[in-house]
Amino acid sequence: MRVIIVEDSVLLAEGLALLLNTEGHEVVATVGTAEEFHRAVAGHRPDIAVVDIRLPPTFRDEGVRAAIQVRRDHPGQPILVLSQYVEQTYATELLAGGGGGIGYLLKDRVARVSEFVDALERVAKGGTAMDPEVIAQLLVRRHAHPIDSLTPREREVLSLMAEGHSNTDIAASLVVTERAVHKHVGNIFAKLGLPPSDSGHRRVLAVLAYLSGV
Amino acid sequence: MVWRAVRATGRLVLDLLLVPLCVVALLVTVVTMVLSATYLGLVLLPFAIRLNRGVASLARRNAGAWLGERVTATYQPIRGGVLTRVRVATGDPQTWRDLGFLALHVVTGPLGAGLALGLWGALGWGLSIPLWWFAPLPEHAIHLPWALDSWARVAVTVPLFLGLVGAVGFRVVPLVAEGLFRLAKAILAPRHVRLAERVTEALDAHGQELRRIERDLHDGAQARLVSIAMRLGIAERVLADDPAKAAALITEARLSTEETMTELRDIIRGMYPPILADRGLPGAVAALAARSPVPVDVETAGVGRLPAAVEAAAYFVIAEALTNVARHSRASSAQVRVRRTGNRLEAEVTDDGRGGADEDGGSGLAGIRRRVSAFDGETTLTSPPGGPTTLRVELPCE
Repeated sequence: MRVIIVEDSVLLAEGLALLLNTEGHEVVATVGTAEEFHRAVAGHRPDIAVVDIRLPPTFRDEGVRAAIQVRRDHPGQPILVLSQYVEQTYATELLAGGGGGIGYLLKDRVARVSEFVDALERVAKGGTAMDPEVIAQLLVRRHAHPIDSLTPREREVLSLMAEGHSNTDIAASLVVTERAVHKHVGNIFAKLGLPPSDSGHRRVLAVLAYLSGV
Repeated sequence: MVWRAVRATGRLVLDLLLVPLCVVALLVTVVTMVLSATYLGLVLLPFAIRLNRGVASLARRNAGAWLGERVTATYQPIRGGVLTRVRVATGDPQTWRDLGFLALHVVTGPLGAGLALGLWGALGWGLSIPLWWFAPLPEHAIHLPWALDSWARVAVTVPLFLGLVGAVGFRVVPLVAEGLFRLAKAILAPRHVRLAERVTEALDAHGQELRRIERDLHDGAQARLVSIAMRLGIAERVLADDPAKAAALITEARLSTEETMTELRDIIRGMYPPILADRGLPGAVAALAARSPVPVDVETAGVGRLPAAVEAAAYFVIAEALTNVARHSRASSAQVRVRRTGNRLEAEVTDDGRGGADEDGGSGLAGIRRRVSAFDGETTLTSPPGGPTTLRVELPCE
């Protein structure tokens, strides 16, 4: 894949580039500001952009804003946002534009290289990758909520589904058959009163929207 | 001006009503002090001092009502054994200030009220001048520079008299009230003591915070980094001879770095939450609300950016309050209102739970109070049994 890295810290940018090169991907540009990010997307049309949230000049949430802006100008451009901390507020904002190809992960996740590369490839293909911590934040829900009626296994499946994993992935990570996952998913949607949904990005959106009470 | 004089008179008369209480409290104190050569006296002394505190608090409330601000003092709590109680009660400088105030008030109370009542008496007397002329009274009863012997003279004299008395009296009475109540405040709630206490508390809290962060970094992140470095060092040495062992060590090192990152994130969150830096108080409070198990309605319109320290204080207070709501209140919903009026930031957290929140119940309310008072702010908690519970804090933000 052709990747651009938007990261102002040279140390992290080099690390990321090393990791991606090792995994056989090509880093076509490394930039450090929101404007350069814009230009790089327009110029290179990368398969995916990996973006840090904090960028100059204010080092706040420029990365989120820039990602939303870039997606407005280049609909469908896959973007993976990385951050030292995650806030479900930002996840909601990133997903609000609709369409697939969005990821939002803690920088820590980079350390699990194969999982990180999986997420990267999933997003590049138009899928979703939400950090488990975002989902954990969303799952701290009110008392007497339909989520309480889920079995522990169904909660696991729900979390993985919300993170953007496919039924195949979920089956693999829970060591069950795909059919079992399919059944759990059906139960979950019935218990939460959501219309049955196919796999993929739309399903993630439906679950996340439900969890954030939108 | 007239209304102010009326209010001043009311406050001064209330102050006058305190005089008998002052006398009683002083007498009781003197008697118990004399008795304190005996055991009985030692037992009674703290009670006498409590009585003083009670009377002083009434005076504070009256002064506060006139000055339009809270006049408060911090007392050392009187607890423990007989001797400890006596030591605390007599060792608290405010005890002696209270006593001084009570003694002073026995003099100033009647003076202030006398002056105020005198004003109204004089006005009444002035109004009665026509009667005096009209009624057959002994001539020497009216001491005026001129004789009141015609309606024309009465018509001039009465307005002149009322005008003079009013012009002077309506100004002087509020001034006297202001002076007396300011004096009361200076004695009963000395500013340097309040500030010194707050500075001490703030420094204490800050020091504890620094020590906690130091400990967390030292015992946590730093120790983990050392262990990571060691593992990587060993892996480097055994790589050629025992690649499997090296791989296991490297995996351990990676897991350890992940734990370190989580830990650092928690420490940073406890110091100054990143979302606060990114989005200011409104964004951070919205994120808190979204994370609360109890549905929270948030109103933060017009708050904007504030000094970082104030934002952090308000954030932690609201976070703590929402944690309490989730843990103790059994509420089904809560509201957070943050408003900025002039140079003050007001934050209010209300829930529809069962009420009866207890300051001493380890609910973090003491921490909230400490945090807020370090900023010279105010904390008010209302939580009647059955609810609703409202925690309100005010912080200066300029």
